[in-house]
Amino acid sequence: MLSLLSFGDTGYGAQLAFGALLTVEVASFGYALALVLGTAIALATRAGDGWRWALWRGYASIFMSVPSLLVIFFIYFGGGQIVDAALRLVGLSARLQVTPFAAGVAGLSIVYAAYLAEVVRSAIWNVPRGQFEAAAALRIPPWLSWLRIISPQVLRLALPGLVNLWIVVMKDTALVSLVGLKDIIAQAKTAAGSTREPFLFYIVAACFFVAMNWITFLVAGRLERRTARALTVAGA
Amino acid sequence: MIFDPHLAWQSLPQLLRGAAMTIMVTVPIVALGLCLAIPLALARLSHYRWLRAFAAAYVVIFRGTPSLILLYLIYSGLGNIEAVRASPLWIVLSKAYPCAVIGFVLVHSAYVVEILRGGLEAVPVGLIEAGQALGLSPRTLFLTVRLPVALRYALRAYQNEVLIIIKSTAAVSAITVVDLMAVANEIFYLTYDPFTPLIAAGMLYWGIINLVRGGFDLADRRLNAHLFAARPVRTTGRPAALFAVPQQGTIA
Repeated sequence: MLSLLSFGDTGYGAQLAFGALLTVEVASFGYALALVLGTAIALATRAGDGWRWALWRGYASIFMSVPSLLVIFFIYFGGGQIVDAALRLVGLSARLQVTPFAAGVAGLSIVYAAYLAEVVRSAIWNVPRGQFEAAAALRIPPWLSWLRIISPQVLRLALPGLVNLWIVVMKDTALVSLVGLKDIIAQAKTAAGSTREPFLFYIVAACFFVAMNWITFLVAGRLERRTARALTVAGA
Repeated sequence: MIFDPHLAWQSLPQLLRGAAMTIMVTVPIVALGLCLAIPLALARLSHYRWLRAFAAAYVVIFRGTPSLILLYLIYSGLGNIEAVRASPLWIVLSKAYPCAVIGFVLVHSAYVVEILRGGLEAVPVGLIEAGQALGLSPRTLFLTVRLPVALRYALRAYQNEVLIIIKSTAAVSAITVVDLMAVANEIFYLTYDPFTPLIAAGMLYWGIINLVRGGFDLADRRLNAHLFAARPVRTTGRPAALFAVPQQGTIA
């Protein structure tokens, strides 16, 4: 039975491996975009009031209250028309077909930008005020103080939330198979259908995700120690 | 991009039936998930090593696996085993709805175990000692002191998890359960209107989620009234967040 997992003509090993790679790609691109967008939102809304805050609350309310699967479907079905309408405003026209890959990346990044913005902003808020004041008192230019003083502390404070959301995004990537992405789940489903061994292939897919979690925790542990090195006593 | 109110109004009965199915899937998941999570959380804190190991493995496996895989595994995987087909369990497992519930109960309970464990560990030792000093039996102590206090501590994290499970049930459409998500997709395939059915379904999800969130807010205000009286003054960088941030260990 395990020969079904071999690479080559008789097994589904290669397909599953390609699927796994695609899953990791969608999750990585989606998460990276979400992190960029989320950090931008966090910086823009760090004052906690004004029109930007109102706008952000609307965004957060919508995308935190709707299933990510729905957002992915929305972009997959309607994304082409939205882009077309937007291009028409600047006098261009294009007939676009959104690929499952693009729909997955876009959907995940729009939804998880909201969650990541929460994590990053609360980390910024939890940096002691004295750190901002000390940087200002030393006449350190704001960009430099954000780069060298504030952001390392934000990273340390936000890390648990960031890691947690990476795992969530990773698992949500499974849903992109429902719009036709040939990820590990779609591959497992195909293999299960044609070999009539669903148990084997789904268990392999499940093991892949559990293993990815395990790797995440290993990497996160190292990162945590690294970002916390300012808090440890030298030589201890 | 056009939202067609006429089509939305026409398909409202269908969408509401879908929403009813979403709720009908969610309620048993949340109820059974909590029932399963309480003994597992106790196992996680047990004196016996093998019980602790079992509960820890349960959490790692079911928190780590996407619910979609579990749904496929239960719905089409189990049916492939002869022994299952022959057993009376087949009456349950041959239908999509119970499979959807079972799959999500496994995932949901694994998260709730960790939330409850956190709550139980946060119960002050003094409170437990006071209960023991008053001669409460371990059972009474657990049911009337430790569990209620733990639930209060865990309420916000539990709220996040319940909201997430409501949204995740959208995946049950993959195993032919006709929930809100599935109805929206059906309407899309009939009308080829990519916006109206999905936006309308999104509004209904938004309504369900915010109703549940409102319910939890009420519960929080009742159960944690003593905390609302004196919320601590923040000493850090910025004004207090207006709503609780889902932090580590609470999201999905």
